[in-house]
Formats: sequence, C-alpha cells, structure tokens
Amino acid sequence: MKVEDILKLPSMPAASPSYPMGPYRFVNREYMIVTYETDRDLLRAAVPEPLEPNPDGHVLYEWIRMPDSSGFGDYTESGVVIPCLYQGEPINFTAQMYLDDEPPISGGREIWGFPKKFAYPKLEVASDTLTGTLHYAGQMVAMGTMAFKHQVAPGGVEATAKAMTKTQCNLKIIPDVDGKPKIAQLVAYNLTDITIHGSWISPARLHLIPHVNAPVADLPIKRIVGGKHFIGDITLPHGRVLFDYLK
Amino acid sequence: MNKQDVLKLPSMPLQSPTYPEGPFRFFNREYLIIQYRSDPQAIREALPEPLEPAGDVVAVQWLDLPDGEGFGAYAATAQIIPCTFAGQPCNFVSQMYVDNAPPLAGGREIWGYPMKYGKAKLEVHGDTLTGTLHYAGQQTATGTMVFKHDAFRPDIATQQALLARTQITLKVIPDVDGTPAIAQLVGIEFENVKIHGAWSGEARLELIPSVNCPLADLPVKEVIGGLHMVTDLTLPYGRVLHDYLA
Repeated sequence: MKVEDILKLPSMPAASPSYPMGPYRFVNREYMIVTYETDRDLLRAAVPEPLEPNPDGHVLYEWIRMPDSSGFGDYTESGVVIPCLYQGEPINFTAQMYLDDEPPISGGREIWGFPKKFAYPKLEVASDTLTGTLHYAGQMVAMGTMAFKHQVAPGGVEATAKAMTKTQCNLKIIPDVDGKPKIAQLVAYNLTDITIHGSWISPARLHLIPHVNAPVADLPIKRIVGGKHFIGDITLPHGRVLFDYLK
Repeated sequence: MNKQDVLKLPSMPLQSPTYPEGPFRFFNREYLIIQYRSDPQAIREALPEPLEPAGDVVAVQWLDLPDGEGFGAYAATAQIIPCTFAGQPCNFVSQMYVDNAPPLAGGREIWGYPMKYGKAKLEVHGDTLTGTLHYAGQQTATGTMVFKHDAFRPDIATQQALLARTQITLKVIPDVDGTPAIAQLVGIEFENVKIHGAWSGEARLELIPSVNCPLADLPVKEVIGGLHMVTDLTLPYGRVLHDYLA
C-alpha cells in the first residue's frame, strides 16, 4: 500500500476500514429522552472545565434507535447527556454512551470523541409502553419507560427540529503510543438537514442501577422532569475543536 | 472535573474510562497460530510502505485471553504478515477481531491495533484445538490443529523467537474534520514472556470471504502447520517507527 493511499484511509484497518468518510446520514432515527434532576455537586464533577453544568441540575437520559445509518448500519444507543454552558452559550455535553455496533463506537470515539462503550441497549414499544433497556456485561443497568404518544410535543415537529440544531460536544481523549495524551479536546458539532416525522411528550419513569463500568447511576435521580419521544432524519457532519487542553 | 484531571484521564469517558493506564499483563494467554502460503501480490498490497514483504508465508492466529489486566476475559483472531522494516524482520498485524470493547478501543487508540468487533473463539473440541470467528452473524474463519501431538519436544526456541519479534501496526486516527490526525507505523515488543507450553503439528485453515472481515483476501494456497502455546506476557506501550505526517 502506497503512502498516498495510507493518507486517504478513513480509519483502521487498512485492509477494511471500520468506518468510511463522513458525513453520516441517519434515516428514521427514533429517540426517547427522559429528563431528570440530579445532585448538583455530582453533576459538577461529571462535567469537564471549562464547561459549566446547567443551573437546574438537569440530566437527559437517552435511548436512540438507528435502523438505517450510512457507513454504520443498524444499531441502538443509550446514554447520558448533560445540558451545559460554554462561555455562556447553551451546549449539550455527552457524558456516557453505550451501543451495540463497532464502527460507530470506533468512529464516534476517534473522530468526535463520543465516549462510547459496547453494550446492549434496546428501544421498543411493548404493548402500551415505549421501553428502553440497557444491559452491560450481562447485567441490566438502565430501564426507562414512557407512555406511548399521549400528547404531541409543544410546537410540534418544527420546534423539535429547531431544538435538534443545538450545539453538542464531547471530551475527546486519544493517547499517544507511550500512554501520554495525544489529543485532549472539547469537540463541538451541529446536526444538519433535520426532518422530524413526529414528536411527542408523555409521562416517563427511569431506573438506573449502579455498575462500575457503566456508571449511569452515578448521577442519581432526584425527580423525573418528563419524557420526549421523536422520530427524524438527520445528518451528522464532522466536528470542530472548541477547546484544546494541550494548548 | 478540572483541566489538570482531564489530562490525567487514561481514556474516554470521563466518568468511567474504557481502559486504564498500561502496561497490561496477560496470564494464561493461549495461542493457535496457523501459518500458510498466500499470494505474493496480495501480500504486497496489504503491507503499507515502507514495510517490505518477507516471503509468502502469513499467519492467522486465535488468542484466548482469560485474564488480561485492565481488559478482562476475551478472545481474538488476527492476521499477521511477516515483513521487514529497515532490514529488520517484523510482524505486521493487518487485521484483528475481538469481542470486548476495552481492548478494542485501547488497542486502536494507544497502539493502532486494527481491531474490529468479531466473535472469536479458541477451544478444545474432543481431540481438536479449534478456532472460529464470526463477524456480523456469519462464520468467516475456522482453524483446526491436532492437540499436543509433540508433548515431549524440549525445544521451544521457534516459539520464543516468534514472540520476541517486533509487531508493527498502522495507527490511523482522524482529526475532527476527517483528515488524518495520526498516521504512524507503531512498533511493539512483548516483555517478560513466559511460555508455559508450546506444541506444533498438523493444521487446516478455512477463510470465508466477507466484505467487512476480509481475512480471505489473503487466500490460503498451502497450510504450513500449526503452533499452539500458553504464555504469560506483558504488553507495554509502543514506539513510533515511522510518521507519515512528519
């Protein structure tokens, strides 16, 4: 393999790159998001400086079903998102993510620094209940339930589409071959080409179970704020460096 | 979390790093290595410059890793291409499949091990040491070897020499805009290698074409034989042998 071809590789292995070049298009991406209030000191500790956690102590616990994702395939994801402020501007920080498909794990970590691990999330409608579960290393660590399409979300699909344009960010850490940090950045991105097919709010409950390697319960539930369910098509483009810890 | 602590994180995520600091010691690491003759042109194409092919014998290996510090219990399948770097004999690790995220993420991010998620298995079935690999629900490789036929052979110099060889990986990590941030050849040498047992014998290998697990792209022309060994060894950090961006 020639040097110019090596420099064109989107990812490892050279023999069969895990993921192709972005951007990545997601069709019929389905979300269930349960918002809850947690302990403010624990939330502060889970958010890297210079981000500031939201003053309400809110956490978003998410399940995302992705049946048709260009370059990645068919998979499901679950995790913790913390609304934050960066220089006074609202931004969502992705704190933990668990999914059942290697290319979006490797690509997510290596391109944008999504904090992804391998686990078995599921999002499905079980009779009258929209149900999300997450199993890590053989044990259930999260279960969310939401009443099914009780009420159209305020502002309808337009308001949900607008909310989806909010800037999101990750803490990207990639070590050097000697174990020292090679990349340590806050990486921001904005979803584009958003079409929302339907959006609903309903009562919700959430159960988080302590687990050392999938510590979703480290931000304990003090109060459930509510549940949101929506389906849409989106594009995930490349990102930009918001803050570089090594400079 | 303050900025100083961010720089001390061994890996993502902040709340629960996927893998800790190295080095990583493996206990009872068991290998089945099947060497075979393949197509010289396909080997040439699979090796990144400036690595040079060293003959037409390559290997597919299965590893059972029941006790990997920081990583846990898992299994792996790898394709290895002997080569030379600046005249020195080395092994290029061209493909690897594992069934456990911490070594997968750590392998890619620290050393550039070309790991994907696949269900590898190495086990003894009756009289047969058997390695299998499933990728995305389909079986893509089967290796079989006779079980400890030369149990009283005293000389394990071949196995020692094999484990002492420098391994080379092609580490590619994109930047946030998709352009390469890291493009390096990384050299890795195992340390504190202890061989509990080593055996050689007849083996067979079947590789099934699969687009995202293309072991069969280096076709099996003739099987040379199998090596079976049980070891303890330490995987230390690596060193940059060649930087494509420098």
